[in-house]
Amino acid sequence: MAQVEPDKERELIARAKAGDRAAFGALVREHGNEVYTLARRLVGDPHLAADVAQETLIRAWRALPNFRGDAALSTWLHRITVNTAWTQRKRARRHSGPPLDDFLEVAAPMGADHPETAGETLELRGRLRQALDSLPEAQRQVVVLKDVYDWSHAEIAEAMGISVSAAKVRLHRARARLVRYLEASA
Amino acid sequence: MSVICEMAAPFVANSAVEGSLVARPFRGHAEACLKCQARHAAMTRTARELAAMSKETLVGPLDLEWRVMSALEGDLAVARSWRTPIAVTAAIVSMTAAVLIWRLRPRTP
Repeated sequence: MAQVEPDKERELIARAKAGDRAAFGALVREHGNEVYTLARRLVGDPHLAADVAQETLIRAWRALPNFRGDAALSTWLHRITVNTAWTQRKRARRHSGPPLDDFLEVAAPMGADHPETAGETLELRGRLRQALDSLPEAQRQVVVLKDVYDWSHAEIAEAMGISVSAAKVRLHRARARLVRYLEASA
Repeated sequence: MSVICEMAAPFVANSAVEGSLVARPFRGHAEACLKCQARHAAMTRTARELAAMSKETLVGPLDLEWRVMSALEGDLAVARSWRTPIAVTAAIVSMTAAVLIWRLRPRTP
């Protein structure tokens, strides 16, 4: 998560908009992991996620003069990440087969400070990641945006270029698959 | 699991994730069925974990900043590499035009 104070971030954004690349570098340091995390969850493959994160931040630099600051920078970056993930994934599919390796990074789960439940939480979190990765691309993206990042159906529909009802149907199907996968892997 | 449990599964999942009642056609069944209630409880926990994942940040590639900034350098280099020939061409064209105009100027005998 980004740690920079809002005032400091506004100043960095203003300087970056004026062409100061050092200020943009500071924003990349603050938001890079966050962008990568979303990319990783959207595309599944860690190498492709790294490419998506890089492309997202380059696009962000180019689009920065149009950033009005109506939404938080992280929200704006998330939108660019979703669009970039969508186009990169299509490009990757055209040029190669499915990824061969798909390792899972281990991050400390929330609640890991409670030893009695930490193991259980870790185990569920691991199964959940695998369950998400097992979902078809389009369904995974909807679940990640809705159930992890709490986007509205309308925001998801707009970002993915589909109707609100299509977004709801995908979510419905994805959750049904998740239930089945988690029960089968329990 | 019975067929009706399977049909109810996505509605039970939606109810657990959104904290709402199970959709009407399956509500009666879900309230009476122990298996669906267990599934609801499991999915409620899953939903909590999904939401908690938003606070979790994975560590991206260590060279991400370097990759981005190098690409931006490349952008500038491309812009520079375009700018230079355009400027040189414009200078040559204007000089040639000036020479031609001077040479072809009407001369008085």
